[in-house]
Amino acid sequence: MEKNHVFHQIPDYLDGNLNKSAVAEFEKHLEQCADCQKELEEMKTFFNVFEEEVPTPSDRLKAKFESTLEQQKLNQGKVVQLESKPSSNWTGNILKIAASIALLVAAFQMGSLFQQRKVNEDIAQLQDETNQMKQTTMLSLMENQSASKRIQGVNYIEEFEQPDEAIIQALANRLLYDENDNVRMTAFEALVNFTSSEIVKTTFIEALEQEQNPSIQVAIIQALVQIQEKKAAEPMKKLLEKEDTQPFIKDQIKAVLPSLT
Amino acid sequence: MRKFTFILMALFVGVITNAQSDYTKSLNGIQWVKIESNADIILKTHSANELLIKSGPEIKIPERAKGLKLVGEGGTDNTNIGFSVVQDGNTLIIHNLRKNKKGEIYLPASQNVAVKSTWNGDIEIDGFSGEIEADAQLNGNVKLLNVNGPVTANSLNGELEVVFGKVTQDSPISLYSTNGAVDVSLPADTPANLALSTLNGNVYTDFEVQAENKDGLKSVLGRDIKASINGGGVKISMKSTNGNMYLRKK
Repeated sequence: MEKNHVFHQIPDYLDGNLNKSAVAEFEKHLEQCADCQKELEEMKTFFNVFEEEVPTPSDRLKAKFESTLEQQKLNQGKVVQLESKPSSNWTGNILKIAASIALLVAAFQMGSLFQQRKVNEDIAQLQDETNQMKQTTMLSLMENQSASKRIQGVNYIEEFEQPDEAIIQALANRLLYDENDNVRMTAFEALVNFTSSEIVKTTFIEALEQEQNPSIQVAIIQALVQIQEKKAAEPMKKLLEKEDTQPFIKDQIKAVLPSLT
Repeated sequence: MRKFTFILMALFVGVITNAQSDYTKSLNGIQWVKIESNADIILKTHSANELLIKSGPEIKIPERAKGLKLVGEGGTDNTNIGFSVVQDGNTLIIHNLRKNKKGEIYLPASQNVAVKSTWNGDIEIDGFSGEIEADAQLNGNVKLLNVNGPVTANSLNGELEVVFGKVTQDSPISLYSTNGAVDVSLPADTPANLALSTLNGNVYTDFEVQAENKDGLKSVLGRDIKASINGGGVKISMKSTNGNMYLRKK
């Protein structure tokens, strides 16, 4: 008997898919077979769980959900729509193109930036070379045989905002050693703009000790007093004692000496 | 015949004595002529490319100096008229050895000259177009007439008078005096950048210039006037420490 178990027919039976003869035969077997009865019971319970315990959302719930969703959509406003659009295929492509263009532009910008930097470097180098050239011109002019050319060389100082030490020293040498009074005077006028430089201060003091031209003497005295250079007092006293010092220089020194000592 | 010979002799002697009062030297290869003198120096132009020193009529050589050479500061008389002329490279150096003997020197107009008066001598230079350097180191006056080129002039107690012809070069012009007046005449249409300054003197001019306002910064030499005339050009710097300054339109 056992071989005639009807397990496979249980689902059909429960669903009512069997014809009458099959149902009769199934029920007849069921009365004799405890196994099949038990199986049927379990199957029935199983189906019942399915049918009863999976709740279908009620219409009310559904309506409420829909309205909440609408509400949410409304609350999020147009942003939702805008966000939803680019997700479509062709806008994505445009985005990609835009991104590549942006990349290209960025790369170009970077390139031109570097180029600019290079150009700036070149310009800086050129300026450096121009300065170098000016300096060479200036220094060579200052060695010229002609006093006018030496003055022109000294006047070149106007081309430099921040003259380096070599230039200052060259001007100092003009002030100290040039044989022409006008060149020395011009060199003084150039140097007087850089009295913060130690070279200039010491040069002025040295020049005051050896300068013979009274015009330059008085100019140096005034410059040294203006920067309150205490070391200038000694050479001034010496000038006071010298016989050939011009009277107006002595007067000048007498007037300013108290402020230095 | 004897009379004729006598006349010839007289003429010959005359030529010789005449030649003794003038000295000439070729200026080939000479760039600068430097002249130093205690006494007055007058510099004039002539058309020949040579140095000509006219010593004037009277040369009194003391009887005792016969057979001796005149020696002075700067050299020995090698011209027989009281001057020493020495060439040093491309420079011709001339010393007037007599302490109070006026010298009249002729040079071509384009010659660069540097003249120095070491005592009371005045310097007068007329008609030169090359570079001019004039330095009256003590009491001499400096007078430069009809000059065109770059001028560098300096005087201590003497006056500085400069009358410019046409100024076209770009080399600076520099005129400084300590105690004397600086008196400059310049063609009205000269393009130039002017810098005028005096410490104790005053500036007078009929050019359109005015003192620069330096925002309270006083220039070291007291009064500084900077101005460009006719669009600016050659740099002309004038300074007198104690004298007045006169800048005239010509």
